[in-house]
Amino acid sequence: MTEEVVNDRKKAQLLWTHTEGYRGAFGMAIFTMAIAYVFMFGAPLLAAFSIDAVRAGAEFSPAPSTTLIAQFFSGDDIPGMMAYLALAAAGTILLTAIAGGFLYLRGRYIAFASEGIVRRLRDRLFDHIEHLPSTFHDTADTGDLVQRCTSDMETIRVFLSGQVIEISRAFLMLIVVLPILFTLDTRMAWLSLTTLPLLIIAAIFFFQRVKKIFEAVDKAEAELTTVIQENLTGIRVVRAFARQEFETEKFAVKNKAFRDHNNRLIGLMGIYYGFSDIVCLGQIGLLLIVGGLWVMDATLTVGTLFAFLTYEGMIIWPIRHMGRVLTDSGKAIVSIGRLAEILSEPIESQNEVAPSNRLKGRITFRDVSFAYANPRILNNLSFTVEPGETLALLGPPGSGKSTIAQLLLRLYDYHNGSICLDDHELNTMNRKYVRSQISIVLQEPFLYSNTIEGNLKIGRLDATFEEIKQAAVDACIFDSIEKFPQGFDSQVGERGVTLSGGQRQRIALARALLKAPPILILDDALSAVDTDTESQILRALKNRRHHQTTIIVAHRLSTVMHADKILMLHDGEVIQRGNHESLSKVEGVYQRLCAIQGAIQDQIQHDIAEVRNHD
Amino acid sequence: MTDAYFDDENFKDGFDDDSFNTGMDLHLWRKLLSYALHYRKEVIILATCAFFTAVAEIAFPLITKGVIDTVAADGLDADLSQYAALYGAFTLLLGLSISGFIWYGGKIRTHVAHDIRMDGFCNLQRLSFSYYDFRPVGWLMARMTSDCERLSNILAWGMLDLVWGCTMMLGIAIAMLFMDLTLGLIVLSVLPVLAWVSLNFQHRILYSARIVRKTNSRITGTYNESIMGVQTSKAFVKEAENLKKFGGLTDQMHSASVINLVQAALYLPLVLTLGSVAIGLTLVFGGLEVVWGTITAGTLVAFLTYARHFFEPIEQLAQWFAEMQMAQASAERIMSLVMAEPEIKDSKEVIEAMKQDKTANAAIDGHVDQINRITFEDVSFSYDVGDPVLNNIDLDIHQGETLAIVGSTGGGKSTLVSLLCRFYEPTTGKISIDGVDYRNRSLHWLQSNLGIVLQSSHIFGGSIIDNIRYGNLNATDEDIFHASKRSGAHAFIEALEDGYQTSVGEGGSKLSAGQKQLISFARAILADPKILIMDEATSSIDTETEQQIQQGMDALLSGRIAVVIAHRLSTIRNADRILVIEHGKITEQGSHEELMVIQGRYYKLYIQQSLSEFVDEENYWRS
Repeated sequence: MTEEVVNDRKKAQLLWTHTEGYRGAFGMAIFTMAIAYVFMFGAPLLAAFSIDAVRAGAEFSPAPSTTLIAQFFSGDDIPGMMAYLALAAAGTILLTAIAGGFLYLRGRYIAFASEGIVRRLRDRLFDHIEHLPSTFHDTADTGDLVQRCTSDMETIRVFLSGQVIEISRAFLMLIVVLPILFTLDTRMAWLSLTTLPLLIIAAIFFFQRVKKIFEAVDKAEAELTTVIQENLTGIRVVRAFARQEFETEKFAVKNKAFRDHNNRLIGLMGIYYGFSDIVCLGQIGLLLIVGGLWVMDATLTVGTLFAFLTYEGMIIWPIRHMGRVLTDSGKAIVSIGRLAEILSEPIESQNEVAPSNRLKGRITFRDVSFAYANPRILNNLSFTVEPGETLALLGPPGSGKSTIAQLLLRLYDYHNGSICLDDHELNTMNRKYVRSQISIVLQEPFLYSNTIEGNLKIGRLDATFEEIKQAAVDACIFDSIEKFPQGFDSQVGERGVTLSGGQRQRIALARALLKAPPILILDDALSAVDTDTESQILRALKNRRHHQTTIIVAHRLSTVMHADKILMLHDGEVIQRGNHESLSKVEGVYQRLCAIQGAIQDQIQHDIAEVRNHD
Repeated sequence: MTDAYFDDENFKDGFDDDSFNTGMDLHLWRKLLSYALHYRKEVIILATCAFFTAVAEIAFPLITKGVIDTVAADGLDADLSQYAALYGAFTLLLGLSISGFIWYGGKIRTHVAHDIRMDGFCNLQRLSFSYYDFRPVGWLMARMTSDCERLSNILAWGMLDLVWGCTMMLGIAIAMLFMDLTLGLIVLSVLPVLAWVSLNFQHRILYSARIVRKTNSRITGTYNESIMGVQTSKAFVKEAENLKKFGGLTDQMHSASVINLVQAALYLPLVLTLGSVAIGLTLVFGGLEVVWGTITAGTLVAFLTYARHFFEPIEQLAQWFAEMQMAQASAERIMSLVMAEPEIKDSKEVIEAMKQDKTANAAIDGHVDQINRITFEDVSFSYDVGDPVLNNIDLDIHQGETLAIVGSTGGGKSTLVSLLCRFYEPTTGKISIDGVDYRNRSLHWLQSNLGIVLQSSHIFGGSIIDNIRYGNLNATDEDIFHASKRSGAHAFIEALEDGYQTSVGEGGSKLSAGQKQLISFARAILADPKILIMDEATSSIDTETEQQIQQGMDALLSGRIAVVIAHRLSTIRNADRILVIEHGKITEQGSHEELMVIQGRYYKLYIQQSLSEFVDEENYWRS
């Protein structure tokens, strides 16, 4: 991941562009919420008026001696008051129900908008990652990338569906409630706002500090996860060296660190919530006592005091909560930034033209030099492979064999020299076209968690089952597949059949054969296949020989010796070229290889002879 | 590999995932609770704080009532100072209780998570490989991370809310009934309806949340797969198709999430409206009572406030109750992990022996600290399910001997080696070390005398030098250089920019397969084990590199018991003895020459191998 700083404007822009089509829904959510609060705040007023009414009523009616129920049924009540109260009660329920209805609408709008935006972001991210160049994927940490796509996305989702509403809720409440408060009683209204600024400042100040600890906690968690992951994936090595204690100690340190960082967070949280509760309750207490004094000198009614106490209780907790909401929003901004980092990585160029015809399969390298970083992997490399020919690449690890394959697939772009497919310069051809003309099989092939048939069909989606079977037969995997309980429908991966390295390689080969492109690359692709099977495969490949140009990267002499051309590479340079016949006659690395393996061969001949002599 | 992001939801492991119908397993939760009760002091403080919080919350409406009644009764002569003082006192109490319960609840939560994870990890280090055979790494990861957090969350905060909610509801109920029995009962009449609605809705909400989580873990899996397989997707130009599939998944996620959110959006208004029914009832009946003078205006205000707060805990409690039912499967799985007994472990006698004082040359279990001879006597083995993999194996391996095992895939070669390492134990028969059944010896002792080089060697994240040092934690840098020279790794390591300090990436991703192999060689050489196991270790090394390490390998193999599963002729030929294993049986054994003479299976394998490697292929390519 590049350490490119994505600035705030860019982050906001990223989120803003993805909200297109959903902005109206957000607006409606806030609008319905405002209406909901208008209704909801009406209810306490009804109660307040009722309290004042019944207090006034109480002064006229004589004190009864019987119980409430008896009174109720005796009809000894004041019918007007009864009706008044019933109306107030019905009004309270109705107002709340209407408010509830609008709150429900708010929920719907928010769900529609936030989930829609997140779906769009997810798809966009997925598409983008698939089109990022190999240079990006080489250095990117898979875990980190997945983390961003999931955890960070979740943070953004919660932000959109929760925090956006929380923030607007606090503001809307204030906007709706303030006119009511000031209409009811100006002095009380001012009084009810006294501690709010303190609360807000305290919240912001506090959560700024907490943010750092949040980061430390996240980091500690990531480290803990890594330790567990490494231990479990390497459990055989751990056991083999009896390193259980060492591992447990390593784990204990991280486990403890995670716990202690969390405890620091909790310590601060406890202080903040304790403190802010005291402020909030102090505010309500202030209203109660001062309001009580005003009730005493009859400048305030009990009903109004009740209304103020209820309203204060309704608005002060969401405001206290703002600190938390703002911190979480801060996290969301960080998350947006982390996604923006991925999305601002340039993807592979897409706009080159794609020739319409199938390539013949001539490959020409002219003075190609290439480096991922330092040092150079390829140095002034030149060679030509004619259509239908087989080229074998030999050389020690790191000599550049695989790089040649990767350059051909346009997974990397070369800048020095020239590579041509047929007569087209590789750099000028559309990547997807180039890749559609080449099949590659890797030493450790990647299979999708799909059925075996599904995996083979990756080669060609519209292949008939007959064709699939034929490819499997050519790759010497048909019999193995047939032996699985579900045959071609067997699931690959953790919940399905376990495949050996050789089986994986052969499935990948079958998949590549199914694609039947003009160029086939086997990048050490038969290393885990036993030699007997290998020779069968090579025989099958030979039958296709005139259909496709083949590049074979291998270690075994037996695999490469029958190629039309052999290149011996060392440090990115060709140190020997020719075919088996010519190279085995010249002094050099190839001859040495032959000698090593030839010595063994002689030995076998000798052994066989010896055994025959015994007979 | 692909199993790093494996969620519990994804894996069918025989437990009933949809645990709505299974009810609660109290026994299980009691066991989990014992983790929390380990922190007895904190639990008591937490409960006390929760209790005081509830008490304070109940007290405030009563104080309000006092204030209103006093001013209503006494008018200008009223003295509010004692109420102010009382209010202040309860405010402080509440503030402190809130701080207290966050501190202690949080402490219990993090400590319990820590302890469960610790126990789980330690047990994972003990468990036999048969345990791992059926549980992917990702599955285990989910237990150790998200499940731990989830359960400790329930334990700490659930317990808190239980005490707080019960105290609060009970307190409010008592206060209301005490102030006015009839009015109190009227307000309480809404309770059953609200409880029913809450429980019902919380179930639905959590259930749909579960579907969201399941879909989410599939999305995670797909992201993971797309990144791991990006090169393949590119090579086959599958980007558009992958996106289409992924789009189907995000569509599912979209609808599942919307359902979940809408359910929640429906629940809140329902609770509010039901609550307002309680308030309305209070208004009518309480209002009339004020008119009649049976209660004061202050009491009515207190009642109205109580009616508003009374139902808050129900929402919380219903949520926890549903969450507990949902988490049942998690609880079962993590407890099964923590409590699983390894199939292979030291017997009581061995543990007893390890506590005794030892003579100078003795191993930790009191026996001789040497391995001169390993004997298999009539050993058979089968995995939990299926046919026997090994049948009646008799075998003697001596100190200093290099044993090569050849045979077809699936014939039992790897199983034989796993038995030797005591990763598995024989189903019948016995394996002895110098005449002592290895089940009577310390597992740790045996395995610390092992060195293993696997076909796909695992490399830990970190530096190269740390990876090699893993073989012997006490090794000096000099020892490490020496070992890597012998393995043939030194040259390429030195050529790297940061040399031995080079970071290898996760799982050694920055190294080639051959380089990883060489490092694991060095690691094994450094460990200098009494028994060395190699499993087709040379397969990903090219012929020239193989030549380079050949001398090192010879040195490594000599002077100890070496067992090599190899298909390379050079390795096979140089072995002191060759075992041919087919269909779980030793069909032939002897030196290369001896076996060639027999002209049996080995002869065929060898000829076939050598022929296919070197001789008669010419015609395939030249015709």
